[in-house]
Amino acid sequence: MALLELRGVSKYFGSLAALDNVNLEVHQGELVGLVGPNGSGKTTLFNVITGIYRPTSGQIFYDGRNITGLRPDQIATRGLVRTFQSNIVFREATVLENVARACYLYARTNAWWAFFNTRAYRESERKIMQRAEELLEFWELGDVRNHVADGLSHGHQRRLGLAIAAAADPKLLLLDEPVSGMSGEEITVVMKHAQKLADMGITIVLVEHHVKTVVGFCQRLVALDYGRKIGDGKPKEVTAQKDVIAAYLGTEEVA
Amino acid sequence: MDSQKTKSLVPVLVVVVVAFALPLFVKQPFVLSLIIPAFIYSVVAMGWALIVRTGQFSMGQAAFMTIGAYISALSNIGWHLSPWITVLLAGFAAAAVALVLGMVVLRLGGIFFAIVTLGFGEIVRVVAMNWTDVTKGVYGLIPRPLSISIGGWSPNFVVSKVPYYYTSLVLLVIAALVFARIDRSNLGRIFRSVASNGSLSEHLGIYLMKYRVMAFTVAAFFAGIAGALFSHYLLFVGPTLFGLPESIMSLIMCTVGGLGSAVAGPIMGAMLLSISGDYLTSLLQGGKALVFGLLVVVIVFYLPGGLVDLKRHVRRVMDRVRGRASG
Repeated sequence: MALLELRGVSKYFGSLAALDNVNLEVHQGELVGLVGPNGSGKTTLFNVITGIYRPTSGQIFYDGRNITGLRPDQIATRGLVRTFQSNIVFREATVLENVARACYLYARTNAWWAFFNTRAYRESERKIMQRAEELLEFWELGDVRNHVADGLSHGHQRRLGLAIAAAADPKLLLLDEPVSGMSGEEITVVMKHAQKLADMGITIVLVEHHVKTVVGFCQRLVALDYGRKIGDGKPKEVTAQKDVIAAYLGTEEVA
Repeated sequence: MDSQKTKSLVPVLVVVVVAFALPLFVKQPFVLSLIIPAFIYSVVAMGWALIVRTGQFSMGQAAFMTIGAYISALSNIGWHLSPWITVLLAGFAAAAVALVLGMVVLRLGGIFFAIVTLGFGEIVRVVAMNWTDVTKGVYGLIPRPLSISIGGWSPNFVVSKVPYYYTSLVLLVIAALVFARIDRSNLGRIFRSVASNGSLSEHLGIYLMKYRVMAFTVAAFFAGIAGALFSHYLLFVGPTLFGLPESIMSLIMCTVGGLGSAVAGPIMGAMLLSISGDYLTSLLQGGKALVFGLLVVVIVFYLPGGLVDLKRHVRRVMDRVRGRASG
């Protein structure tokens, strides 16, 4: 059984088809790359899966359950977590505070008990801080832990965005252009961490313009064009498809 | 970390001790009559601050004070329940109303929510004014004063203001402990997440409505108790007792005290504004409005962080003065 399944998912904005009858299966442990030119519907697909939009038609199944139309928080609670293309963080908070906030699902013990019982509350607080520290170390954000998120360098901010997503205890992680705007060196660092997450058993779907990154990391590529799936298979095969190349025609990415 | 906590605890303890000891040295009823409302409004202001800290703006605190005051008076007069019980009941009644209202209205964003709470306040006023069978309209209700009788000890709540002073002070301390605890706990962290970025919080599994409604309800609970206590102190409840001016007061008190603060800011703002406002009104009619207006302008221009920021601000000014003197 697939971990994530999209059946005939379409999303129309007025008469514009942002997604057109997309069928997709992602299995546990896979590393799937989602490629396509600008406007092909990649982010819309993520938005529909995570509950920001309701699909105009079609259904979405996660872990065997129908999650179509659920709220984003309900979907995140089930272990389906995403990052944002624009890299959303808690701007006014420190890096450490950002990650601590992101540990919400991890911290969800008995809130009432922890409120009244000082010992339980202190224990729960200690566990959150410990987890936040572990995450900071994993994503190499230790030395900026007390910096305000808004003032971070681009690379640091993107890693923070990933740390936040990782903190939410994902089973399936949707990464929306996690390395955009990064230098080659920074890309390597991030992809190294993404690989570590994959090694821990997290299923990853990665939207990325930079096809080289995607081909190197992903076992499977799904290509979109104008909201329709035009390719689904091994990276080498999909990037060789005539229609995939044509969709990218005029851009530098596929070479 | 712990020595830091002890350091900030000492001034708080000093203030609390002074507050409890005050009536031993200050006996004038006039002074106490200035402080008691300040204690009560501090509680309401802390509630308003909690709502703000989830990113929402309520103009309804006064409405919940009114609801609390009427529920307490009605159950006191009508069912002959002890005022202590009715005051507590008032809190739960206000909270129940807030729960229902919040679940419907908090789905609207920012300004719409603010307007609806403002409208709700007006609805409460109109109902209180016109449902004369129950509320006696403008004539209002006269609740019984608080009373305690344990063994031989029976403090006189009618002749002396001192028992009300201690009652409202205890309420303030309890409320402050609750709001401080919320702020420092993970719940406070969740509220901050919700206020900072609702969308991101959602994608981290946080159900926004749950926490917005929670804050709104807790704030209403304390506003209800505050309103009820106030009415048992004034021995009067009327439709215009707490209205739009009182709702706006919460905003001004928290702004003057410091908008980021959960406990210290609202309390300082409420104490300063309520005491100086009432005092000036005793000298000059409309003095309260003058004080509020003036202090808001001063704070916004010279100390935007509010009174909680005063120490840091003074230090900065001193440094600058010192810098100029030496350089």
